[in-house]
Amino acid sequence: MASTTRGVPVVFDKIAKSFGAVRVLEELALAIEPGEFLVLLGASGSGKTTALRILAGLETASSGRVRIGDRDVTDILPKYRDVSMVFQSYALYPHKTVAENIGFPLKVRKVPKDQQDKAVREAAAQVQIDKLLDRYPRQLSGGQRQRVALARAMVRRPSVFLMDEPLSNLDAKLRGHMRAELKHMQSALGITTIYVTHDQIEAMTLAHRVAILEKGILQQLDTPAKIYNDPANLFVAQFIGSPPMNVVHGSLQGTTFHIGGATIDVNVNGKIDKAILGARPEDCSIVEPGEGRINARIYTTELIGDHTLVTVETNDDKLTVKAPKDFTARDGDTVGVYLSKDHLFVFDAATGARVR
Amino acid sequence: MSGTSFKFKEADRNLMERLFEAPAIGKMSPVAKVVAYSMLAFWSVFVIFPIYWVVITAFKDAAAVNQGPFYIPFVDFQPNLDAWRVHVSTDPFCDGYAVVRQFGLLIYNTVAFILSPVVEIAPMEPQICKLYLAFTNSLVISITATILCVAAGSMAAYALVRIEYKPKFGNIVMFVLLALGVILATSYAGIPWYVSSAVALVLFFLLARTLGRRFKASLSNGDILFWMISQRILPPIVIIIPIYMMYQAVGLLDTHLALIIIYAVANLPIVVWLMHDFFASLPVELEESAQLDGSTRFGIFWEIVLPLTRPGLAATTLLTLILNWNEYLFAVFLSTAKAQTMPIMVAAKNAGEKGILWWEMCAVIVIMIIPVILMAVVLQRFIAKGVLLGAVKG
Repeated sequence: MASTTRGVPVVFDKIAKSFGAVRVLEELALAIEPGEFLVLLGASGSGKTTALRILAGLETASSGRVRIGDRDVTDILPKYRDVSMVFQSYALYPHKTVAENIGFPLKVRKVPKDQQDKAVREAAAQVQIDKLLDRYPRQLSGGQRQRVALARAMVRRPSVFLMDEPLSNLDAKLRGHMRAELKHMQSALGITTIYVTHDQIEAMTLAHRVAILEKGILQQLDTPAKIYNDPANLFVAQFIGSPPMNVVHGSLQGTTFHIGGATIDVNVNGKIDKAILGARPEDCSIVEPGEGRINARIYTTELIGDHTLVTVETNDDKLTVKAPKDFTARDGDTVGVYLSKDHLFVFDAATGARVR
Repeated sequence: MSGTSFKFKEADRNLMERLFEAPAIGKMSPVAKVVAYSMLAFWSVFVIFPIYWVVITAFKDAAAVNQGPFYIPFVDFQPNLDAWRVHVSTDPFCDGYAVVRQFGLLIYNTVAFILSPVVEIAPMEPQICKLYLAFTNSLVISITATILCVAAGSMAAYALVRIEYKPKFGNIVMFVLLALGVILATSYAGIPWYVSSAVALVLFFLLARTLGRRFKASLSNGDILFWMISQRILPPIVIIIPIYMMYQAVGLLDTHLALIIIYAVANLPIVVWLMHDFFASLPVELEESAQLDGSTRFGIFWEIVLPLTRPGLAATTLLTLILNWNEYLFAVFLSTAKAQTMPIMVAAKNAGEKGILWWEMCAVIVIMIIPVILMAVVLQRFIAKGVLLGAVKG
């Protein structure tokens, strides 16, 4: 059934939203490609869910227009927008069986009964719940409920899928599994999907492009790789990556970064008194004392499995270094930290902007 | 850590602990059991004995009542049907034929009433078997009033939960002042009421559109809800005279419609208040999901909200029905003969020259409580918990 549905483009044209005096979204401008999997990533209160709800029609924008395909849907009712949504809580109808839940969108559209049954069975088979059709939501596990919600969203072949943190109620193992299934299904169906999450791993793994929101402002919109390797500002740099990027406070003088007594050569040029140096844990390494760019003391070591996370302490900052799994050291040992010059980022401490 | 450990041991319990401590989680201690069950037994006597007493008294004759108290039928006294027969024998229309004919007339008159805006059909006066009339009156009035009340009340409650209203306080004051103006103009200046109220309505809308924009203070849903429940604070007795006069003015005294309207209105606050909480406990995502799935607003209410609040709806309906069925005060003022209800019949047994006819009264009471018990049995199936389980979260 897959490739029959083609995706449509979705456009947020300077969407702003305020609740009373509180501004939740500041002129959000986003153009989503047909069939794209776009993830809206942000902490709670960043406006990502509000943006999704404005697109769904559950919330009205204070200003700006929303377009789905070639239609301006800003002022039309949710049911005419041809979008379907998977809620964080799944929002299954508890008094209806799985089959009735999945078939509900068809029932209200007065689709003939035999077609309804066929579509329900197809959708259920696609998410592997075709044996559960007679059960009630209360008799299902979290993962099964999740699948029912997905099937209900798919069954009417909407132009756009909206997902509001659909995996956050699942346990870690199931979440990883469902993530892969979601990604596969989306690419098989080719339906434009907008997915809201606060989990950067979900964002990185699922998205074609990620839009990072903070305080209602779009920070960066790019592919996961670009966002990871080329963050637009300090917020994005620290939000993406696990463990997060190390930051060291100091000052930028020409092409050298000064931290306390130490100096580090960087690839940018400028003069900023309060600057921040960023380095991802995997771009740092532990070396003999005096050999590296910074001297530090071991704070703690954590064996993760395929690598060891070493936290070291400098004068003001703590850094996390990704070391080989056989790394051993005692807490308090003095070590050197080597920072790879080509993988350093410099930010203006006052604005958070990237210095390029 | 000196090596000594401090533990509770079950075997070391003294007598008091054995008596007062629950043997396991979810069980009651021996003392608690005794206390709980004796309180329940004590309470049960209060609940069950009056019903038992009413039922046996209905099968006593005058002698068995007056020479009593006799407690056990067939032992203390010989039960008979005197109290029941008297209702039939003193009332010429209480034979089988009259009752069937009356039932037919009830249907005929109901149809006539429904069709009355279209075709004029003269309602036919039923031959009156008083007890039967009162029983059917009670049924018709309390069921109709309950349906109206629960329908209007639950829709109002739903609206108050899901829609945010912001009536301007100034507009409300303006409305009240204009209403007062209408009353003054009509009663002192002799202006016909339809003229003055039409003028006032036009004035209100004009002012609300112009002056109303300047008002700042506005009320919220909470205020509206409180306003509704505040209608129940007044004891009905203080409003019964104005209501009597209103009904007199429109010629509705001693009609079913009069009692249906007043019962529905009087119980509306209770329905709104109760249903408000049931609706508020529904997760809003269900309705949003249905909205995206394509349901209409009324469709969502009918297909999603109502089935999920069915326990609340059943409880509210039962409560309203019982309140309507038992209502005495409005009925005694507003009905004289044709619209009399069962509580009036019961009270009437108190008014004879021969003193209180306890056995006849009890026979009427037995007839009166049977439908309530049936209704409770039917509706309690729906007052079950756990309907919302599985709606949200895992």
